[in-house]
Amino acid sequence: MINFSRVSLVYPTSTKTILEDLSFEIAEGEMVLVIGSTGTGKSSLLRLINGLVPHHTGGILAGDITVGGVSTQLVRPGELAHLVGIVGQNPAQGFVTDIVEEELAFGMEALNIAPDVMRKRVEEILDLLALAHLRNRAISTLSGGEQQRVAIGSALVMNPKVLVLDEPTSALDPIAAEEVLSILHRLVHDLSLTVVIAEHRLERVIGFADRIIHIAGDGSAEINLPEEILKRSEIAPPIVHLARALGLSDVGLSVREVRRMTEEIRASGKDIPREVGQLGEIAIRTNKLSLTYGEKKALNEVSTQIHSGEIVALMGRNGAGKSSLLTTLVGINKLSSGSSEINGIKSVDLKGQVRRETVGFIPQEPSDLLYGQSVQGECQQADRDNQSAPGSTFALLKRIVPSINPETHPRDLSEGQRLALALAIVISAQPKVLILDEPTRGLDYQSKALLISLLKNFAKELNRSVLIATHDVELVAELCDRVIFLAEGEVVADGPTLDILLSSPAFAPQVAKVMSPRPWLTVSDVMRAVAE
Amino acid sequence: MKSLHPLTWWIWSLLIVGAVVSANSSWLAGISIAGATILVWRFAADAPWARSFWFSLKIGAFILIIRTLVGILIGVPIPGTKLFELPILPLPSWLAGVRIGGVITQERLLSSIHEGLIIVAVISLFGAAVSLTSPHKLLRVTPVVIYEFGVATVIATSALPNLVQSISRIRRARLLRGDENPSWRSIALPLLEDSLSRSLELAAAMDARGYGVSRKRSRYRPISWRGIDSVVVLAAFLILSFTLAVFR
Repeated sequence: MINFSRVSLVYPTSTKTILEDLSFEIAEGEMVLVIGSTGTGKSSLLRLINGLVPHHTGGILAGDITVGGVSTQLVRPGELAHLVGIVGQNPAQGFVTDIVEEELAFGMEALNIAPDVMRKRVEEILDLLALAHLRNRAISTLSGGEQQRVAIGSALVMNPKVLVLDEPTSALDPIAAEEVLSILHRLVHDLSLTVVIAEHRLERVIGFADRIIHIAGDGSAEINLPEEILKRSEIAPPIVHLARALGLSDVGLSVREVRRMTEEIRASGKDIPREVGQLGEIAIRTNKLSLTYGEKKALNEVSTQIHSGEIVALMGRNGAGKSSLLTTLVGINKLSSGSSEINGIKSVDLKGQVRRETVGFIPQEPSDLLYGQSVQGECQQADRDNQSAPGSTFALLKRIVPSINPETHPRDLSEGQRLALALAIVISAQPKVLILDEPTRGLDYQSKALLISLLKNFAKELNRSVLIATHDVELVAELCDRVIFLAEGEVVADGPTLDILLSSPAFAPQVAKVMSPRPWLTVSDVMRAVAE
Repeated sequence: MKSLHPLTWWIWSLLIVGAVVSANSSWLAGISIAGATILVWRFAADAPWARSFWFSLKIGAFILIIRTLVGILIGVPIPGTKLFELPILPLPSWLAGVRIGGVITQERLLSSIHEGLIIVAVISLFGAAVSLTSPHKLLRVTPVVIYEFGVATVIATSALPNLVQSISRIRRARLLRGDENPSWRSIALPLLEDSLSRSLELAAAMDARGYGVSRKRSRYRPISWRGIDSVVVLAAFLILSFTLAVFR
């Protein structure tokens, strides 16, 4: 269905070869997963399939790509619309109209398809993706998972042979992600659709992939069966790391397989003693905190305390009030009732330098914090703000990412480097509390490991507290001491990570699913349990 | 009621406006405002544009008050029942014929309110037409030449909220870095980058979905004129003919 023959790609402004001499073939009805670190060209590979690269971005393409027998070099991307449907990283940015039904019809209208055919196809898609009850809703009022389904629907409605998805689950909570992926799985099996998908969180998608394309970053790429690639790859989901750490002969890709291989370990492993840390003084305290937007209650009587030295995860569905709670804590929202304070200072009184030194906040888009023209410029600005010695922020950044070039424009940094820069700037003010909103969105495993060690150091060695809103259960399992679970603006669960994550199957990390009923969340937990 | 033709309410409101203006009666103006309010309250969909009627009522009330105040303060005195008297403001001699203040008569007050009410009725009838009709549906019955332009407008209007969102997001981030009065430069730069990347993203998405490939565009769900539409328009037409016949 998709045929790459000796494809090389270079962007005009860069000397780096993105892809070099890449040849592969993807058959009809295959589900292929594209993996690679950030900035290695996963998105470029996906966009090559419908010709957005190089038609839309520029760049030099050598070799030939055909989709369903049509060469992408010879036609514009729009002329492939009936063959290839593409769903971008952030579906909200790709919506053209504002009503679900019209969004679905947009592509067909552009191709001048007869109204009765359109009606029929829209109905089919509404049923297929369970969107029928949302047909007249404004897209902006939908949840993240629903928006993702609309985006997939508006690609599918053209009856494409190939569906290309760029990180379809990165913004979704585990349950919504599961929903989207199972729909894709069904489409592959029922309609023999060819699906190409790029994703960082392998634990979510690995069970569905027939083959994997691994982009190394130096231009080379390998396409092979998942078992073969994951045997050697640095990029691997937790269960593969588990299999490697335990020295199992095979890597299993599903929880079921690995469970079979580890029966003995579950039986013989020892209980690991729970660490009971000393609680420090209270860093964050909220009392019956409520917040309303118009008529909607975003937060409803949230009372909680977070101590210094604690790393706390804030979890919950899309729209459960996580971001509202974080922004209220740092004093951006006016609360409707109740109180919140950080280090004894009322949130609403936090201003200027006091705010900087009390609480550091990394928003969902770390780039919002950056406005300088270079990494160096940003760091110097932070030094001036904090009246610290010139070069101290940059030194801190160097410790996190040694390879960073001070002359680079912040926009050109990779996702992970940008987060590191924002973190360095925020930490350089030495805040008592660090708050992060969805920090692992779009991060590869390597950057995630870096983030984990950095935050652990910050919390444990400096005895500061960290609060993270996230959907990433693996991050929570590795990093956090405690989980607060929000639903509809209310705290529905609050307790040690172990208890909260194990109590719900949807939020259990992969290792915990394999090792259930033993209470081990991470690979290192298991290794400690089997160690003599 | 949802299935009414988008032009129905527009024709209806034009006819009623004609009736109110030709009758020149504050009673009819009041009745038509009340009627429009009931229609909107009863039939408008729960959508952003449905709020425009209540907005038009607010504007109407504002105009009525200003119009009445100006009407009784400035202008030619109308003789009649004296309500109260204001001191006359001395004006320079070249403004002869204009008077501020003076005797306020019941007739002067009533005629001001009467004119104001008719203006309010006209505004609120247009507000009702906007509220009762989805702009998207209206767009779909426009001729093809305007349609292309219309599609561009819809895209622009759905992009505007995104822009507003970006501004507040970036302003917030500036506050978080302890910058209480962020300079326009520190907001404009990320905003420019943000909106540029958004528009590129949108252009790529539209391109990938075949926008502009075919010279012709078909329309999803063509809208047809039905009996109920004729009934609504006919009723309004009867009212207009009635006022034309009676108030001539």
